[in-house]
Amino acid sequence: MRNLIFLFLLISSFYVSAQKDTTIQLTFVAVYNIPQKSTQPIHLQDFAFYSNDKDSIEIRTLKFYISGIELYNKGASVWKEANSYHLIDASDEKTLSIPLSFPTPLDYTILSFNLGIDSATNTIGVQGGDLDPMRGMYWTWQSGYINFKLEGSSPLCNTRHHAFEFHIGGYHHPYNSLQRISLNVSKDFNTVAYIEIGKLLSVINLTKTNQIMTPGKEAVWIAEQVKSCFYSQADIK
Amino acid sequence: MKKLMVLLLVISIATSAYKVTDTIHFIVPKGWPQPEYDFTQNPLTTNKISLGTALFYDPIISRDSTIACATCHSNKTAFAQTDQSFSRGIDNKLGTRNAPALMNLAWNTSFMWDGAVKHLDMQALAPMSNPDEMDESIKHVVSKLQQSKRYPMLFFKAFGDSIITGEHTLKAMSQFMLTLVSYNAKYDSVLRREALFTQQENNGYRLFRANCASCHREPLFTNNQFENNGLPVDTSLHDNGRMRITQDSANYLQFKVPTLRNIQVSYPYMHDGRFVRLQQVLNHYTNGIVRSKTLSKQLQQRIVLSNCEKEEIIAFLATLTDKNYLNNLQFAYPKNILH
Repeated sequence: MRNLIFLFLLISSFYVSAQKDTTIQLTFVAVYNIPQKSTQPIHLQDFAFYSNDKDSIEIRTLKFYISGIELYNKGASVWKEANSYHLIDASDEKTLSIPLSFPTPLDYTILSFNLGIDSATNTIGVQGGDLDPMRGMYWTWQSGYINFKLEGSSPLCNTRHHAFEFHIGGYHHPYNSLQRISLNVSKDFNTVAYIEIGKLLSVINLTKTNQIMTPGKEAVWIAEQVKSCFYSQADIK
Repeated sequence: MKKLMVLLLVISIATSAYKVTDTIHFIVPKGWPQPEYDFTQNPLTTNKISLGTALFYDPIISRDSTIACATCHSNKTAFAQTDQSFSRGIDNKLGTRNAPALMNLAWNTSFMWDGAVKHLDMQALAPMSNPDEMDESIKHVVSKLQQSKRYPMLFFKAFGDSIITGEHTLKAMSQFMLTLVSYNAKYDSVLRREALFTQQENNGYRLFRANCASCHREPLFTNNQFENNGLPVDTSLHDNGRMRITQDSANYLQFKVPTLRNIQVSYPYMHDGRFVRLQQVLNHYTNGIVRSKTLSKQLQQRIVLSNCEKEEIIAFLATLTDKNYLNNLQFAYPKNILH
C-alpha cells in the first residue's frame, strides 16, 4: 500500500512540473522611421544607409543592453524574468529575439525593461554571458557598462571619416543614464519593440554633438532621447 | 543494496573531499578589517591562482606579446617599478602616471590613482587596452589564449571549461592578485609582540601617528580615500586626478592615498613619481605644500618636523618593509607553467 501511495505521488509530481508555461518572443526591430504602416528594419550586415533631403546617414553599429524585464497588470508587477540581461546587437539576428516564459494564465498589459545595466550589476565584479567584457560593451579605462552604443557617419560631422560615436553609459549619481521603458502589449502575443533611430538622430545636432564616450550630462540626455524612441505595435496604432 | 549505498557514500565523500582541498580560505590577518572583495563571487582555488599567476607574467596579454603585467609590476619591489617615474609600454611608449605598488588589494575600495576602476576583476582591462601600455582588447586576448597550446587545459583545470571567456580570464587574474597580502613586516611583528622597535623607530612611529596616520591609517596604511596633498601641479602633465573621472571640481588634484607598506623599496613616490627619496617626500609635507580649495582637510595645519624627526619617521617607515612578501616564490615568475 505504501508503495502505491509513493508511486502515485511520484507520477503526480511529474504532472505538476510538466504544467505548461506560456512563451512569447520579445523581438527588437531597429528602424529608421516608423511610417504609418510597414517598417524597414535596420540590417547591419551591410552598412545600413538612409538618406533624406536633409542628411544621409550610415549606421555601422547599434548595440544595447536590455535588463530587468517585467510584466505589469494594473500597475502591479506580476512577473520578473530571472537573470535578466540581454545584449541586443543589430548585426547579429540571433540576439534580436528574447523568449520569455511565464506561468499560465497571467494577465498583463505592460511589458517593462531597463535600457542598460543597473548600478548593482556594474559594481559586483566580472560577469559572463552577455555581460562578459569581451562583448565590447564595457569601458576598459573607467568602470561601467555601455548601455547603448550607436556608431555611424554623416556628412554633417566634421570628424575623421565623418564619424559619430555615441557610447552611452554611467551608473553613478548624478550621471546615471539607465532608463526604464514601458510598452503597451497584448497578453500572450509575441511583442515587437521598435527603436526609431531616425527620431533619435533628428534631435541631435550632429555638427555639434558627434562624440560622447564618457558618463555625463550629455550621455544622460541622449539616454532619455533613446527612451522616447521605443514603441510597441500597440503604441504605434 | 546496502553495499551499493555504502559505495555511493564513500565515493561522494571522496569527491567532496577532493573539492575541499582545491579551495583556499582567504586568511585575514589578526586585527585587520574584513576585505572589500566578495569572495563568494570568485572563491579562491589553487588551479585558478596558478592560472592567474601565469596570466600576470605572460606577455601574450599585450598586442605584440612584449609587455606583461609583471613588466611594470615587479615582485621584488612590491610590484612597483623602481627605475622610472613613468613606465614604458608597448612600442616604447611612455605613460603619464607612476605604476603603483600592488599589495592587499582585497581591501581596496577602488583601483588606479584616480579610482577609475571600482572592482578588482575589471582592473586589468585598463592597462590591457591602454594604447601606451598593452594596446590589446580582452576579446583578442581571449582568442589568443584559446589558440595557444597551454591555456585551454589550464582553463579547464581551473574552471571545468576549456572554452575561454573574458569572465574567466579576469577572475583568474583577480585570484592571483588577491593572494598578494603583505602583513609580515617588522612593524607587524612588533604589534604582535614578537619584536621591538629601536628607540629611533619608536620615536618615528609616534611622530607618524601624530602627523601622517589620519590618511595613512593602520593596518593598511591607507584610508582608501582621495586627497589633494598639496603637490604643485606639473604643468607638463596637468593631471587633475579624480576630477577627470567625476567631472566634479571638488575632486580637483585629488589622488588615491597609497599604502605605505614596503614604501622603502617602491620608489619613486606620488602619482607621477616625482620624488625618488623619502627625505624629499617629508620635505614636501613640511615645506612644499601648495594651498588650494581642495587641499586635504588633514593638511590644513602646518606640519613641523626637525631633520632629526624626519630621520626617525623614515626609520619607522623602513619597518614596513616585508621581506617575506618581496621574496615569496609563490608570487614570482611561474617557471613550472611558463617554461
